[in-house]
Amino acid sequence: MTDADWRAMMIAAQSGNAVLYRQLLGELGAWLRRYYARRLPPVMVDDTVQEVLLAIHEKRHTYDPKQAFGPWLAAIARYKWVDRIRAMKAATMEEISEAFPADDHTEKMQTARSLEVLLSRLKPPQAEVIRLVKLQGLSIEEAATRTGQTIALVKVNIHRGIAKLSALAQGGDQ
Amino acid sequence: MSYDSLIDQLAKDLKPVRRRRLNADLAIVAAICGVELLLFFRLGMARAGMPSMLQHPSFWWRLASLGLIAGISAILAALSFNPAFSPRRGIRALAVLVLVCLGTGLCIGAGPDGLKTLVQRLDWFDGLHCAGKVIALSLPPVVGLGLLMRRGAPTDMRATSLLVGLAAAAWGAFVFVFACPFDDPLYIAVWYSTGCGVVVALTRMLLPRLARW
Repeated sequence: MTDADWRAMMIAAQSGNAVLYRQLLGELGAWLRRYYARRLPPVMVDDTVQEVLLAIHEKRHTYDPKQAFGPWLAAIARYKWVDRIRAMKAATMEEISEAFPADDHTEKMQTARSLEVLLSRLKPPQAEVIRLVKLQGLSIEEAATRTGQTIALVKVNIHRGIAKLSALAQGGDQ
Repeated sequence: MSYDSLIDQLAKDLKPVRRRRLNADLAIVAAICGVELLLFFRLGMARAGMPSMLQHPSFWWRLASLGLIAGISAILAALSFNPAFSPRRGIRALAVLVLVCLGTGLCIGAGPDGLKTLVQRLDWFDGLHCAGKVIALSLPPVVGLGLLMRRGAPTDMRATSLLVGLAAAAWGAFVFVFACPFDDPLYIAVWYSTGCGVVVALTRMLLPRLARW
């Protein structure tokens, strides 16, 4: 599907064509999953995709058929992404009370969540290769194939990403 | 709700929509401002001695500056109701325009007097009164643009709110020019800026919360 196809489907949807609209939402859902897979923790992707689909539904009248569809969609996706990141930042600011000692499982969950929060603050290509190589155990070559980055770029992104992660963990980067 | 059932539900709820159009938004804002201006004159709120006022350079400086700022800000604000439009560059250009307008005004008649005279020229009591009226006259465009912002889909809430505030504040000051009994450019620069600043700060603070989507 090209931008022109999506554009045509959205124009039809604005006129009330439910069949094409359903097809369009399915396509957009798949695109949004890929978009957020590189930018958000996996547990948040589904919720965010649904939220964006709702936003697209509510704001479909703002799409101007004279303009390309891609930038309109990307702007909404980015807006919701920034919104999520802000919400995550706000959530990490909440203090955990001393009165609730965490067992091992909770601690692991908190560590995983903190790591995802930190990863979300890296550039998407950096976070993506760190997830693949350092967390999922893929080789550099496999990560390069999966992401479309060169092997050298994967190495550079891992190196820079980890350097930034440690700076973030020490609270040195704002 | 699962992903598939959400899509089914949205497709089921689909209704034809009337597309948002920039010209229609601007026409609505212009109509609101036109009605406000008409009421302003009809209610006899304009200053007495208008013909003599027309001879004063500060009158034309105020009208031209404020009209230009209000018009450009309103257009940029309406453009930014489209999610794909970023208003940041427009705001930077507007900041320069505001500074040029203020500088021009101060050049017209601020410089030569001493500090004491300058303080007297500011006339605090009347100045605060003027700033209050500018704020009150800004309300109709704030409401109009705010409602249009809610209907639109701005993706840079802070910048869009700032533009809405600037457009409304400049319009409020523009209308107030016809009632203001003071012609001193220093007084105008200080107190009009105060009134406009309050409007911009309030809209910048409140609108992102009210128009969130």
